[in-house]
Amino acid sequence: MIEFRGVSKTYPGSLHPVVNDLSFEILDGEICVLVGPSGCGKTTSMRMINRLIEPSEGEILIDGEPNTAMSGTKLRRHIGYAIQQIGLFPHRTIADNIATVPQLLDWDKIRIERRVDELLQLVGLDPAQYRGRYPAELSGGQQQRVGVARAMAADPPIMLMDEPFGAVDPITRNRLQDEFLRIQEEINKTIVFVTHDIDEAIKMGDKLAILKEGGVLAQYDTPEKILAAPNSEFVSSFVGADRVLKRLSLLRVSDMELDSTNGDGDDLPRISERTNLKDALSELIGAGAERGVVVSNGDGARGTLSIETIRRLSHQAEAEQRYE
Amino acid sequence: MSSLVASLALQNLGPKVLDWNWISRNFSHEIIPAIIGHIYLSFVSVTIALVISLPTGIIVSRYRKAYPPVTFITGLLFSIPSLAFFALLVTVPGVGLGPRAVIIALVAYSLLVLIRNVVAGMDSVPEETKDAARGMGLTSRQILFKVELPLALPVIVAGIRIATVTIIGIATIGAYISGGGLGELIFTGISRNFPTRIIVGAVLATLLAVLADLSLLAIERYLRPWARTRRT
Ligand SMILES: Nc1ncnc2c1ncn2[C@@H]1O[C@H](COP(=O)(O)OP(=O)(O)OP(=O)(O)O)[C@@H](O)[C@H]1O
Ligand SMILES: [Mg+2]
Repeated sequence: MIEFRGVSKTYPGSLHPVVNDLSFEILDGEICVLVGPSGCGKTTSMRMINRLIEPSEGEILIDGEPNTAMSGTKLRRHIGYAIQQIGLFPHRTIADNIATVPQLLDWDKIRIERRVDELLQLVGLDPAQYRGRYPAELSGGQQQRVGVARAMAADPPIMLMDEPFGAVDPITRNRLQDEFLRIQEEINKTIVFVTHDIDEAIKMGDKLAILKEGGVLAQYDTPEKILAAPNSEFVSSFVGADRVLKRLSLLRVSDMELDSTNGDGDDLPRISERTNLKDALSELIGAGAERGVVVSNGDGARGTLSIETIRRLSHQAEAEQRYE
Repeated sequence: MSSLVASLALQNLGPKVLDWNWISRNFSHEIIPAIIGHIYLSFVSVTIALVISLPTGIIVSRYRKAYPPVTFITGLLFSIPSLAFFALLVTVPGVGLGPRAVIIALVAYSLLVLIRNVVAGMDSVPEETKDAARGMGLTSRQILFKVELPLALPVIVAGIRIATVTIIGIATIGAYISGGGLGELIFTGISRNFPTRIIVGAVLATLLAVLADLSLLAIERYLRPWARTRRT
């Protein structure tokens, strides 16, 4: 668990803090996304966790211990960090880049080699083809993946990832996000993830910490709660006017209670049960239908889903949150 | 190369300009020792200069305020006319005539170029590379030896190239104060009005400079395998 306790940071020579009285907890195994407009102090907040930056006030606890309990270098070897600018070592091969922390921790050679190949596989780069290359021989997106692999190398329980998918096109980014979420299911790390893209935040985060100008925490909660009930003008405009639709994108058709088919499903549009509600709604509207037949993988009809059901669900959640 | 061609052309003007007999007679006991002496002067000077410049450059690249005064002093040394510098050093007690004075002057001349290149090399290391290194828990020492110096090395070697070529040239003048080396052939050639010595000294000094330059260039390339490989 990572706990921010009244953390503030004012850079020397500056009058105003860039991070202001930050207090919140990140639970083990969760992805906490720090999100907010450019310059709101996301990177600064993140770098105070592994003490690349020391807070001016307050403290950060890791598993109940202040992070100042051990030396900065020792702390950093046990926290994976993928920096915003990637920062691969140009003079070292991809394999050596990934092996950086395991080498510092004196792993034996064979174990390092095995780990490097495993990680390259994990981030979707063929080890045989890429391990011996230099960073200059990789595309920006491939470098970014190596940066993520390097951060994961020594299997640290905590990972800090500063806009790790910033340098890739939307399609690849989407794929990397999916891959990363799949990996996280297996490895269950405590992850602090920085982005300024609210859609990425909603998709990746178990919790969102929305920061505003001056490094003030505007809201800290699950994406569902934040989308249903933004606590301020700032949050509601930051998450966007389409927040109801965004919330639908968090739910899957398979999570819904479906109506029975009544045997009239032949001329209705078909929806895979793995689609999210937002896409399902879009398909229904596009097909000009009130209802659609939900099918599972094996093409078996599971029931029907109506626009009315989705509408009721959205409205209900809004109302609940409002009067909570 | 061109001076070699020129000397071959001069040969046709008669035995007085390029006396091949003299060359073969004195090859082992005069020419070879002169070459060795020249290499010794240059090598020792560059090595000493490097030992001074490397730490100085690293410190200066960290404490930027020290850079202008260091450039000023080394620039001043660099601008002293070589003949005057040699003559001056001879008068210093404990130095006197001989290779010692020559080496001191050659070291002084190389400092500017070497320190500048060390600083440029350190500056060429991308900020985010150092940042990533720190973020992964490398100590300042590890960052210096595993990240900064390897990345700065090609630029530093480029500086060594320039310094070496310059030194091999200036070292010939060192013979004026009995420093030895190829300059000795040239100076005695002048005083005895014997062109063969002058030509041999000049050609060999040039050849030496070219060879040193090419081998250091090869080293520079070798040290930068990551830039040699091509994008695919
Ligand atoms: N080393 C520094 N010295 C002084 N000011 C700094 C320093 N680093 C950052 N700042 C300032 O602190 C503020 C927050 O910076 P930070 O990098 O944390 O923002 P960010 O939220 O990560 O922004 P972005 O989304 O653009 O990466 C900015 O106004 C920035 O100019
Ligand atoms: Mg940032």
